[in-house]
Amino acid sequence: MNLNKTIIATLLAVYIAVPLAFGSDNYVMSLVVASMVIGGIALSWALLGNLGGMVSFGHSAFFGVGAYTSAVLSMKFGIPVFVAMLLGGAGAVVASLTMMPVLRLRGPYFALAILAYAHIFRILATEWTSVTGGSGGLSNVPRLPEIMGYDFSSKTGGYLVILTIVLVFAAIYQYIRRSHYGLALRAMHESEDATRVVGVNSTLLKGLMLLVSAFMCGVVGAFNAHYINFLEPDYAFSGLWVTIPIVAAIFGGYRTITGPIVGAVVVYLIDQLIFKNIMPSGHQLVLGVLLVAMIVFSPEGLLSLVRKFTRRNHVAT
Amino acid sequence: MTELILQALYSGLLQGGSYALIALGLALVFGAMKVINLAHGELVLLSAYIAYTVESGLGWNPIFAIPIALVVVCLASVMVYFVVSRIKKDREINSLILTYGIGVILTNVILLIWKADARSTGSSWMQEAFVIGPLYSMRSEVLFFAVSLVLMGGLWWWLSRSWYGRAVRAVSSNRDAAKLMGINPGYTELVAFVVAGILAAFAGVALFSYGVISPAYGNVLTVKAFIITVLAGIGSIPGVLIGAVLLGVAEALTVTLASSALQELAGMGLFLLVLFIMPNGLFGAKGRRG
Repeated sequence: MNLNKTIIATLLAVYIAVPLAFGSDNYVMSLVVASMVIGGIALSWALLGNLGGMVSFGHSAFFGVGAYTSAVLSMKFGIPVFVAMLLGGAGAVVASLTMMPVLRLRGPYFALAILAYAHIFRILATEWTSVTGGSGGLSNVPRLPEIMGYDFSSKTGGYLVILTIVLVFAAIYQYIRRSHYGLALRAMHESEDATRVVGVNSTLLKGLMLLVSAFMCGVVGAFNAHYINFLEPDYAFSGLWVTIPIVAAIFGGYRTITGPIVGAVVVYLIDQLIFKNIMPSGHQLVLGVLLVAMIVFSPEGLLSLVRKFTRRNHVAT
Repeated sequence: MTELILQALYSGLLQGGSYALIALGLALVFGAMKVINLAHGELVLLSAYIAYTVESGLGWNPIFAIPIALVVVCLASVMVYFVVSRIKKDREINSLILTYGIGVILTNVILLIWKADARSTGSSWMQEAFVIGPLYSMRSEVLFFAVSLVLMGGLWWWLSRSWYGRAVRAVSSNRDAAKLMGINPGYTELVAFVVAGILAAFAGVALFSYGVISPAYGNVLTVKAFIITVLAGIGSIPGVLIGAVLLGVAEALTVTLASSALQELAGMGLFLLVLFIMPNGLFGAKGRRG
């Protein structure tokens, strides 16, 4: 009961209080939307890492493919934007299907292979000029539409859309985690061989997690394309779409659901508001340092570090 | 046409030399510590930029950058080792994220110091043509191919004959047994990182002497080194050399026959092909499959 109250209060706060407080300030609102985009990617990354046990350095591929699929479908075939966004997720799923052979590889090899894949998709987007517009990019990507008199193309409208997307994904994540699949996946985390012995098809499950993760990341990418109305390969497949979400997920704790989202908002806002002003180029340096520090001192996220200190105060060791 | 293809094969072969050095560094560290150093390409790039500074700042031939690059890159490599060795649990996943973070740091340090512009050598001594029959190359390409062959020979000797080299191999094949034989695994891992740093320093100076470098190139190098180890299968130096030459040749042929923009796709195509047909690599090694 108490938990439900907290959830409802939080929902009210993020849906109503945030737009009311910052809605008039376009700069702050655009930062908030961007941080939610990062949060969406971080969530999909953490799902793959936590449930699937796989570290991906190639989520920029899903992000970019989702963005391009949705943009091209809505521009060339006139498909409504919200439908196209879902199809963008489907496009990312197709992209992830081509990564399936890589699942035959164990841990570190998988991570490197998926890093290599991200390069492929960027090159394809640059070279396939007839569809993607090449390195010049696509301008005039359709805006988010007006539905029932409400214009979603405004900053606040964009915020409501991305917030809903991220919350729905968080709910799906939670549902998977509590299902039988989630149990099997947790067991796989302990010992993959033992789980296979009791009849779990671990490769299939990992593959499914890759699909779900790709879909989420693709939809977020599609949203971003319609939100900023512009796409180019170096932007859509930028390594930034990998680095910041990883830092965010690790910072917030990638084994939790809220961690990556909260981490994204905190890390992105700090990066943009503070470090970008101090050093305009190369401010990602700070993100790298943060990542290294987190892994060395508290790989389970900042929250667990706080918990560790408070526990130390309560219980004498 | 035949001439063009022959020329591409030759250029690919020469390029394979420094690729092999990079891949061997990656494989050596992976063997000893079971850690893939995602910042390895950035270490190579760091050496390349040191060569640039020596050339543009002091006006010297980039070759003289090698001693400085050796010191700096080995130190950086050792620092990577000390940070990685501080990981307490889930080493496999955490070491990947950690070295990725170090890669981000190095890329941005390079960006801050040397700016985002692409750089290449201006040394005419290096760019002098070197002709064998119908085949053309720059002097630097042949020089560094020879250097990489010598280094690989040295590495082979070191791994099979010297005490530390054999210790690295012992730790690679069975850590606990090596410990019982009185080998200190931590120290051996450190040695592996230093040797990887030495190889990276030479490879970096080589890359600057005949190619174009930019801050984002480090990531690409790591991917290339990884593709080579997949082609070769971990554990044999000749295998890595052949894998590296294959990648070099595939890239050179793509540039000659198609376009330079597709260069990276060539390596990926080769990689996927091997993954499908021979999942254990061309020269067999086990333990890669999940």
